[in-house]
Amino acid sequence: MRERSLLDLDDLTSAEITGILERARRFHDDPPPRNLLRDVCVVNLFFEASTRTFTSFAIAEQRVGADVVALPPGSSSLGKGETIADTAITLAAMGVRVIVTRHPESGFPYRLAESFAGHVINAGDGRHAHPTQALLDLLTLQTEFGKIAGLRVALVGDILHSRVARSNILGLIALGAEVTLVGPHTLLPEAMQRDGVRIARDLDAVLPHIDALMLLRIQRERIAAAVLPSLDDYARNYRLDARRLEALAPGTIVMHPGPYNRGVELTEDVFAFPGWRYAQQVSHGVFVRMAVLDFLVNGAA
Amino acid sequence: MNDLFLRGGRVVDPASGLDALRDVLIRDGRVASIGEHLDPGGADVFDAEGAVVAPGFIDMHVHLREPGQTHKETIATGSAAAVAGGFTAVACMPNTEPALDSPALIAEVLRLARAAGLARVHPIAAITRARAGKELAPYWRLHDAGAVAFSDDGFSVSNPRVLRQAALYARDVPGVFISHCEDGDLKGDAVMNESARSFELGLAGSPGLAEDVGVARDILIGGDTHKPFHIAHLSTAMSAELVRFGRAQGIAVTCEVTPHHLLLADDRFDGFSADAKVNPPLRVANDIAALRAAVRDGTIDAFATDHAPHTREEKAQLLADAPVGFTGLETAVGAYASALPDLPLERFVALLSTNPARILGVPGGTLAIGAAADVTIFAERPWRVDAAAFHSLGKNTPFDGATFARRAIATIVGGAFVMRDGIVAAAVAA
Repeated sequence: MRERSLLDLDDLTSAEITGILERARRFHDDPPPRNLLRDVCVVNLFFEASTRTFTSFAIAEQRVGADVVALPPGSSSLGKGETIADTAITLAAMGVRVIVTRHPESGFPYRLAESFAGHVINAGDGRHAHPTQALLDLLTLQTEFGKIAGLRVALVGDILHSRVARSNILGLIALGAEVTLVGPHTLLPEAMQRDGVRIARDLDAVLPHIDALMLLRIQRERIAAAVLPSLDDYARNYRLDARRLEALAPGTIVMHPGPYNRGVELTEDVFAFPGWRYAQQVSHGVFVRMAVLDFLVNGAA
Repeated sequence: MNDLFLRGGRVVDPASGLDALRDVLIRDGRVASIGEHLDPGGADVFDAEGAVVAPGFIDMHVHLREPGQTHKETIATGSAAAVAGGFTAVACMPNTEPALDSPALIAEVLRLARAAGLARVHPIAAITRARAGKELAPYWRLHDAGAVAFSDDGFSVSNPRVLRQAALYARDVPGVFISHCEDGDLKGDAVMNESARSFELGLAGSPGLAEDVGVARDILIGGDTHKPFHIAHLSTAMSAELVRFGRAQGIAVTCEVTPHHLLLADDRFDGFSADAKVNPPLRVANDIAALRAAVRDGTIDAFATDHAPHTREEKAQLLADAPVGFTGLETAVGAYASALPDLPLERFVALLSTNPARILGVPGGTLAIGAAADVTIFAERPWRVDAAAFHSLGKNTPFDGATFARRAIATIVGGAFVMRDGIVAAAVAA
């Protein structure tokens, strides 16, 4: 039987998501012994540069006492003609129990999980999914508001190319939040409309009516690709600046998965905003990843 | 050569308007007589009672991969797949390695097809040298060598000036231009249809618009140059509408549809495998319904499979790397009948035989007395697709395991059985 993997949040029931958040909260409040994954070999297989997620996983793996091997990007034989299945079989044969993987192509972790006799954790695949980022965002909301059901959450910016947005949408809907997506048509096609999600074009109209605002990174490449005319034109409608911060209702929090572009999707005014939760998000990332490792390897108990 | 006697089948020959229970006598490789209660004499008798006897099916859009990609398919294995599926003839696309852009390569394909000795193989030559979209291929020399049509299939000729010049130069050369319509810029690095499904999966999608603007452009270039164009593998509702528009303007345009675009939508994408990756991509239910309607109302002229064999290893690669396409020759008869079970048999046969023969200007497509005896016999006989048993080297079909109601039970080329009750004849060098 194939071991359980975390490829996206729809692999988990809402009860399981809540359970992982509770476990992460427990680990945060009361650090567990460093032996939860004793003798469990974890490989970090990253095909894309990553500082934040890579480091967060590495720290989480150490804190649960796993044996950790990190394969830097470009070192894998996949680039030498080895198939995904070959890589999976090879690592399993060495006793690797968990693969944490990031890949520029949507779906790569799914293909890996088909052949790997162990757990696969998706640390970001193409523009598809980034489930541990969504979990740490959910933990941040949960910590702030005590619940997620009924929260009004807006995601702003490059929804189309964002794996963070996709996974967050799944998680937020599963836990009963009201989700609004905001962005221009080229970054947020009408066809992304789905049950439980509202699409808006006018951020200013949305700002006073939300509990949390999730900003997404805007990549400068979008200008060369004729997706955006200029960062300034984007800023006119969507950059979070002092004026827009004032439009937020009291108690609204602002989140960003990082890395953020100062002056692009936000101005430096945001860093002084009392509801800015970026550091908490990053901090929660370690505990959520510890909880995911523990949940997959040791079960739901 | 033995005489053949096809006893008691329903003979459906749209070219002559015949649709009746008849015996067919084949002598010296030709249709000798069709009538009731004929005397078989010493002929080899095939009991066609309960079956349909039709002019040989012609698949005008297949990829036989030879020369250059014989790990995917050869002319011999592709010919065997053709006759196994009920096709007496195929027209093969020039996206081989090298591309079929010279008379010597056309001659080589014909030589290999003769050696295989099963289906008739009609080579389609490239529109541009090396299918690079820049310089014109030598159309008269290619025609002299046996090319029946011209296409850069796999891509559109992206530069409209080049396509217009090609069509003007080739205007009097026998052989239609077959257009693969897909605007490369709109398509980008897409691996599937752009739709709610592609957004959900986080995969790059190609909008139906990429095909529609290509179809509109090529129909208009056809009208401007007076070169007949044939639009390959329609996949969108708008494409069919554009063909209707072109005809209303008096432009000579024909078109085809594959079985998969009549049966499958982009929800076949699950788990990120390339098994559903094809160009043009599988679209949505609305397109499927519109294409079926376009078959029924006569907008679509031909059924053509776009038979595109690949190895398992190639299809198992990551989505971005894996090649596009499905095999089609051995499932077509069942798949088309499954998509359009109520289509009159006369139309079914016209789409698979009469019309492709007419569009390509090749012999066949008729059971007229004296015509070469290329015959397909098919019946309502439910069967289950088993890709592992294909004669094609390509097992890449989305229909593996499907049950279809209709199948070819015998294929006759030039008066000889090349497939009989599912058994393909050993190759006989002609």
